[in-house]
Amino acid sequence: MKRFHFIFLLFLIFSCTALAQQSTLENRPVLFSQPLSPRIAGYDIRVRLDTEKRLLHGKEILHWRNDSKDVIRDLQFHLYLNAFRNSESTFMKESGGVSRGNKIDKDGWGFSKINSVTLPNGEELIKNMEFIHPDDDNEHDKTVVRIELNKPLPPGKTIDLNIDFTAKLPSPPFARTGAQKEYFFAGQWFPKIGVYQDGGWNCHQFHANSEFFADYGNYNVWITVPNKNIVGATGLEVNVKQNDDGTATHYYHAEDVHDFAWTTSPEFKEFTGEAQGVKIRLLMQPDHAYQAERHLAAAKVALDYFHKWYGTYPFPNLTIVDPRRGAAGSGGMEYPTLITAGTAYGIPKGLRMVEMVIIHEFGHNYWYHLIASNEFEEPWMDEGINSYSESQIIDDYYGPAGSAIDLFGIKMNDLQVHRMRYLTAPDVDKMVETSWGFYSGNSYGTNSYSKPAVVLTTLQNYLGKEKMLQVMHAYFERWKFKHPKTQDFIDVVDQVSGRNLDWYFNQAFFSNAELDYSVDRVSTRKLAEDKGFDYNLSVEKELAGKDSTSDSTAAGSGDLDSTAGASTDSTEESSLYVSRVNIRRLGDFIFPVELQVVFDNGDTLRENWDGKNLWKKYRYVKPAKLVSATVDPDYKIPLDINYTNNSKMVKKPKMGVNKLAIRFLFWMQFLMDQPEFLNLFSGLKRGA
Amino acid sequence: MVLNSIKSGIRQVLQTKRMIMVFFLTNFFFALLIMLPFRGALSHYIDGSMMGETLGGRLNMDFLYEFILHQGGALPAIKSLILVVPLVYWLMNLFLSGGAFSVFAGGEKYQPVQFWGGAAAYFGRFFRLFLWAIPVFAVLFCLQFLITAGVKIFFGSDPYQNITFWAGWLKVGFRYLSILLFWLVLDYARIYTVIHDERKMRKSIWHGIRLTFGNLAKTFGLAFLLFVVGVIVLIIYNPLANLFSAPNSLVILLLFILQQVYMVFRMVLRLTLYGGQMQLFRQISEQKNSTGDDFQPDTGLEDAQIAT
Repeated sequence: MKRFHFIFLLFLIFSCTALAQQSTLENRPVLFSQPLSPRIAGYDIRVRLDTEKRLLHGKEILHWRNDSKDVIRDLQFHLYLNAFRNSESTFMKESGGVSRGNKIDKDGWGFSKINSVTLPNGEELIKNMEFIHPDDDNEHDKTVVRIELNKPLPPGKTIDLNIDFTAKLPSPPFARTGAQKEYFFAGQWFPKIGVYQDGGWNCHQFHANSEFFADYGNYNVWITVPNKNIVGATGLEVNVKQNDDGTATHYYHAEDVHDFAWTTSPEFKEFTGEAQGVKIRLLMQPDHAYQAERHLAAAKVALDYFHKWYGTYPFPNLTIVDPRRGAAGSGGMEYPTLITAGTAYGIPKGLRMVEMVIIHEFGHNYWYHLIASNEFEEPWMDEGINSYSESQIIDDYYGPAGSAIDLFGIKMNDLQVHRMRYLTAPDVDKMVETSWGFYSGNSYGTNSYSKPAVVLTTLQNYLGKEKMLQVMHAYFERWKFKHPKTQDFIDVVDQVSGRNLDWYFNQAFFSNAELDYSVDRVSTRKLAEDKGFDYNLSVEKELAGKDSTSDSTAAGSGDLDSTAGASTDSTEESSLYVSRVNIRRLGDFIFPVELQVVFDNGDTLRENWDGKNLWKKYRYVKPAKLVSATVDPDYKIPLDINYTNNSKMVKKPKMGVNKLAIRFLFWMQFLMDQPEFLNLFSGLKRGA
Repeated sequence: MVLNSIKSGIRQVLQTKRMIMVFFLTNFFFALLIMLPFRGALSHYIDGSMMGETLGGRLNMDFLYEFILHQGGALPAIKSLILVVPLVYWLMNLFLSGGAFSVFAGGEKYQPVQFWGGAAAYFGRFFRLFLWAIPVFAVLFCLQFLITAGVKIFFGSDPYQNITFWAGWLKVGFRYLSILLFWLVLDYARIYTVIHDERKMRKSIWHGIRLTFGNLAKTFGLAFLLFVVGVIVLIIYNPLANLFSAPNSLVILLLFILQQVYMVFRMVLRLTLYGGQMQLFRQISEQKNSTGDDFQPDTGLEDAQIAT
């Protein structure tokens, strides 16, 4: 009897669950008839926002498939918001409590708490839960949790877990997520499973410099917020249900994404646009609304270029969120189909920060989202490749001069901005490093963003732009919806270019070698007659006791360079000049370079040097004087840490020194006479 | 009265061309003190690089950054000079202003004896006067915080960025205003000191404040008109200077000449202000005298001549 009751009860539960699931599934839209990704981790989440307490009350159903060949005995989850739980978390200790210049308010701490974890049969797993610290043994860090399964999960099987959680958003928004008054930005807000990869869990703690890594899946998220609020989120809004308690529930659906972020505020002003068939939704703050067109234009540029250069953006929409004043901590961030911008009232058009941020963050929908590299372990692969794309696009669209800054006569392009940052720490670390393994925050920034932009631009100049575009396109097509590593990128470059470029990547990616070539010495003088026996003296005559006579051989007969290939001119010896150029490799980075030598008769020679030795000397005998010598005359090697020593003129040029000096003199005169002029800069800074 | 004062100021300045040159050369010399080490560092860093030619055109930002990054040794010294030299220059100007006011008070052409004698005679007093003026400046400087308070009262503690943006510019304007008013007080206090050969600087600053704020429309109007002229000329100068960007030695020489002509004009403007203020001071004094005000009635000519 008891057995009958038990079977009946099981049947009842199963039927109800199946019915419930069916009814829910029936309402779910299908974006892609064929999955674009492996769809390993899918989530159904119902979340309610408590605006007063900044709390998120959530119920999450995780559908996770064991895509490995291993039997899985435990699961690991990220609880990112616990990074803001106290001052002892790994994030807080590494960052010193400061992220992008923002600090958490006195009462602004956040947390993430799992209240229960149950299997569909009601079996509770929370007793098997423990915090782990795989990266640094910081026992106070609670950003990674391990849950042991009561029953191992075989390969290919899926597990469903019901997770009841509560999260508190930090204030003001800090490290990309949080709340500021009526504005909420929820990123990394739900318990999120790690990636099972290479026989183990890849689930790192939240570090000061690290970002994220996750598997693809489908998301169905019901977000309940005050009904006056506007909501923006990853994916598409399916419907909005008005509730009796003054709230509204917004249902969002996303497919083949690996994260889900959302935002809400009653103040958003909504604008729309379209590019490449993608609907753009822009949520602006009221005080920035006048810049909506500028934001949309930048988004269109991004969509057009990425589509043209790298591949198709498969999603139907893109949401851009403009963070509230005082909430810059949530600005400039990427999530699948949703990005946050960053602007300020009064920002001049010549300062293209708005455009840079939007193009950069949209780029992450390729280099982070569609190509889901591991941001913890190889941050250069998303930030670096994306910075390279950003600089290429901005410099191409807005012009090579002044693409990033074109203000008060100062012109800088995006690549220059990256190169400047790279110059601050060109040799502190190697580029390929874990995000928490860098010497400093600046080194992380340099090696994850700017140096890769410079390294890939140098590579592009070496291979040619067309070939590089083929490389990037092939990389995108081959690795979209997968988790590539650095070697995978290198393999694509080698394959598409048809060359083995290990010599380059070993130096640029895996060493801290500096690249610096210089013209060390230039000289030119009239070719002197060769003197002595065999030239103006004769041994035979000497031995015969005859008078010495000037019997010189043609000057210039020995004009071939003994050190390097040189050129000779068969002009009259009396007007010949011997010119010397010594070039040196000052850094350890070996790279083939071009040398341009210019003579006063207009002759220009180009030489190629493999750069392997520490120096090379060139000697020319020509009926013209040497004017100058320049290594890398076309600025093809932005990796070179010093452009100034790349050239030398025989006659020292004073014009530039004098020009800069008189400009400096004038500004000193002016500012000394009217120091109050400096007051203006505080206003310009505000404007900037 | 204001326009008459400006006219009088211009007339006096035109009679004292050598004084203009003294002010200009002082400015040039002190700027040179900072520029020469800078030029040395620049020349050393560029050496024979073609950058030395490229920079003859527009400024190369790559170069500028590399120079700052790699020329670590020289820059701290130049920074120190940038801090110290303007202070000494400011003291020098305080010194020279004694001469200028003496010449203008005498109402005669520039006489080196009178100018340098006046400069020496009043330097100590002017310096004390400056010390007395610091609290005045502090009060005026605090004017800008009225904007902050206004924003808080009308827009709360979390105003939109457009409010903070424009309030910020308004504060910049108020800071300019406070600086301008401070100089006005100091200028009229200096004039009072020279005219009356006053030795009690407390008294001079008090009269400076009274005259400035008691006749604000006139005192401020005079200074503001000349300030506007300065701004207009600066606006004209900038695009004009940008035209001289070709990498050519002759063009660079022309740019240098243009810059120095502009600086001479600035000196003319300042001395016109001094002359105009002196005239205005006299006119106000006479006016008050005729209306029986307790302000000192005399024009001060005699005192000024005695003092020098």
